[in-house]
Amino acid sequence: MGKECVTIVINDIRNYKWFIITGLIAVLLTIPFWASNYTVSIFLLIFMYLALAQMWNLLAGYAGLVSLGQQMFIGLGGYTLAVLTELYRAPLWSSILIGGVISLIFALIISAPIFRMREAYFTIGTWLVAEALKIFFSNWGYVRYGQGFFITAAYQLTTTHMYYMAMVIGLGSVAVVYIILRSRLGLGLMAIRDNETAAESMGVEVFKAKLICFLIGAFVTSIAGSIFYLYQVFIQPYAAFGIDWTVAMVFIVIIGGIGTIEGPLAGVVIYVLLRQYLYNYAGISMLVLGLIAIVLIHVAPKGFIGTLQEKLGFEFLSPRRR
Amino acid sequence: MTTANIILQVDNVDIYYGDFQAIRNVSFQVPERSIISIIGSNGAGKSTLLKAIAGLLKPYSGKIIFKGKDITGLMANKIVAEGISLVPEGRRIFPRMTVYENLIIGSYTPKARRKNKELLNKVFELFPVLKEKSQQIASNLSGGQQQMLAIGRALMSDPELIIFDEISLGLAPLIVKEIYQKISEINREGTTVVLVEQDVRRSLKASEFSYVMRGGEIVLTGKSSALEEEDVKVAYFGL
Amino acid sequence: MVQDFAQPILNGILLGGLYAVVGIGMAMIFGIMRITNLAHGDLMVLASYLSLVIISGLGINPFVTLVIAIPVMFFVGLIVQSALINRVLKKGNEPPLLVTFGLSIIIQNALLLIFTPDAKMLMNSLSTKSIFLTNYLSVPVIYLVDFIIAVALILVFNQFYQKTYLGRAIRAASDDEGAAELVGINTRRIYGIAMGIAMVTAAIAGVLVGMTFTFYPFTGTQYLIIAFGVIVIGGLNSLLGVLVGGVILGLAQLIGAEFVGTGYQLLVGYIILLLVLVVRPQGIFAKN
Repeated sequence: MGKECVTIVINDIRNYKWFIITGLIAVLLTIPFWASNYTVSIFLLIFMYLALAQMWNLLAGYAGLVSLGQQMFIGLGGYTLAVLTELYRAPLWSSILIGGVISLIFALIISAPIFRMREAYFTIGTWLVAEALKIFFSNWGYVRYGQGFFITAAYQLTTTHMYYMAMVIGLGSVAVVYIILRSRLGLGLMAIRDNETAAESMGVEVFKAKLICFLIGAFVTSIAGSIFYLYQVFIQPYAAFGIDWTVAMVFIVIIGGIGTIEGPLAGVVIYVLLRQYLYNYAGISMLVLGLIAIVLIHVAPKGFIGTLQEKLGFEFLSPRRR
Repeated sequence: MTTANIILQVDNVDIYYGDFQAIRNVSFQVPERSIISIIGSNGAGKSTLLKAIAGLLKPYSGKIIFKGKDITGLMANKIVAEGISLVPEGRRIFPRMTVYENLIIGSYTPKARRKNKELLNKVFELFPVLKEKSQQIASNLSGGQQQMLAIGRALMSDPELIIFDEISLGLAPLIVKEIYQKISEINREGTTVVLVEQDVRRSLKASEFSYVMRGGEIVLTGKSSALEEEDVKVAYFGL
Repeated sequence: MVQDFAQPILNGILLGGLYAVVGIGMAMIFGIMRITNLAHGDLMVLASYLSLVIISGLGINPFVTLVIAIPVMFFVGLIVQSALINRVLKKGNEPPLLVTFGLSIIIQNALLLIFTPDAKMLMNSLSTKSIFLTNYLSVPVIYLVDFIIAVALILVFNQFYQKTYLGRAIRAASDDEGAAELVGINTRRIYGIAMGIAMVTAAIAGVLVGMTFTFYPFTGTQYLIIAFGVIVIGGLNSLLGVLVGGVILGLAQLIGAEFVGTGYQLLVGYIILLLVLVVRPQGIFAKN
């Protein structure tokens, strides 16, 4: 009886899926009009971290690329924005976009060497690149060494502006992953995840598929990083290129469910709320998140959402074409 | 066969890989100090059965009793300590260790460790070539020598029952013959031997008692001398 | 010119010894289980703090704190392996990696909570002393001590691996886990002990690093990368490789710093490491 009820509900959800999604987006669009400033900024953070986590999930959960260096693109995006707007008074929008393009080009350049590294070597290799950039930026006079920038251009924006920017990048990232997974590239990624050697022999161009994910990840992560620094106003190399960014991505994805589109959606809500709730105890929130992540890897390796999907046999945003 | 001298008894064992039943209700007995053989083609379930006896996988149901003690589901390292040693298919020597080290690690269990010098001398007596090459890296040995090393390593645990899995695979006939002579020598010293082979004629010749497996079941049983090679082949292929 | 470089070369070689101690435990775990312990650096720093606490409690010499730090860290390793890593060993590459990553974050933040972000050091009389060889060339005593301990540790390890049952069992398990089980080795227990031993080296590294440099809750990352560098450059086939890897990394950093300034010292090390990874993704001295 209970099982039947669940099935009926699931079928209902399935039938009205797009209706529900449109409704949700409509509600999210209205939030700045009625919610408190605090609520708006919480949603803003959720959207930004959603974009970051969704991109890390695309790499680690689908393309088999466990990168611990995604913060390099946040730093590059944030610094491009800071330098262009502060030193050259460039327009904000183009600065953000140029940051994305610079990250994309940087990703393309390092992809050749970094893709030679496998598994753990790739993981630490990416981290090394980010660490190297961190040290480089903090010793680089042009970007004012470790002292950093105030991004004064941010003062022309209201929280509402930034909320919509974050919403576009956050929901956009979900759409991007959804579209990728339902494309030919997505089929290839599934094949890679199941068996890389077999996928290679089946004619899936493994390198190309991984590269495309890496580049998209770099671009979106960079844009999200720029928007974050608009919100934060102050940028400084040790934070911008710090591992904390990737820690957030990893925790969100593990908690929600690696290799599912919905996982980061759930993970990001838990992550942001927990961090806010324990805001005054900075170390404790990371400690708690770390413990949750380790426990989940052991008892529910597919995270909250992945485990739920397994139990119910239903994916809300299924990457598989029916 | 009276129960008094049965060293290994397998009772109604079922083993699954997921949904696939690899072993169906298999029972057999091994008398003390005997040589028995389990014959069957590739995929008949012999290796699965051995893995269960050696503790590398757990049976779904049934019992494995060794020297009157229930050893079903014990870990492999515990089963070695009980006195069963497996010479695995493909030899599985430790390639980066020397011949001497491969042998000495064979007597890892506390009981064997106490008399490792004595055991080592016995192995060197049986396979003088291992003594000669004791300081060489194991991966540099020839195929036949590696097989001898694998046997020597298994003997170093001072087993009462030793199981040989596909020992002649990939070896020259002359070497196979030599190794079979060594096996009967090991048996004469008092160790019970279980041979697992695809080679019907050799198995029948070397053993006292044979079990033929097909499709995860034992399909023919009998004294090796009484079994006709033709009957075995019929059972083996299911013709 | 020669005088300019003699000092960094000498210091680089000696520093390489310290790096080898930092890397040896991680190399061991990587070699045995193919696991990259992303918490290795943090566990080492944990040992530094442990030593600090013992010193402030008992007022003893940093070296003497090893009497307590070594067994404590051994049990930390044993527990980490048996409770956290053994269970996910067979579940692919990512879970063990992510477990150690989570552990790294937990340790860093726990240290931050307990000890504040301030830099600390294990005070001792050696760290300020130097032996002058010429007017231009001197040997920092603590560097020399680091190097001697590194060489001694590698010799002890070599004997342990070659001559003891436990050492051989560890090698056997890393050669062929299934075959090791068949000769009676409980590989899970061996992995636990191996991690315990790796943490013993981390305890020694932690005390030496704490006596040589300052440390704070997040220093672990830096030493993780150094340990990784030692593995990549030195390869996994020999203990001597670990020492060579450490020395090459130490030399690269200090000679590099001479060219581009001390601000870039770490950067030079990282870039060399990246170059090695690109050219020989499996390590310089690896056989294949």
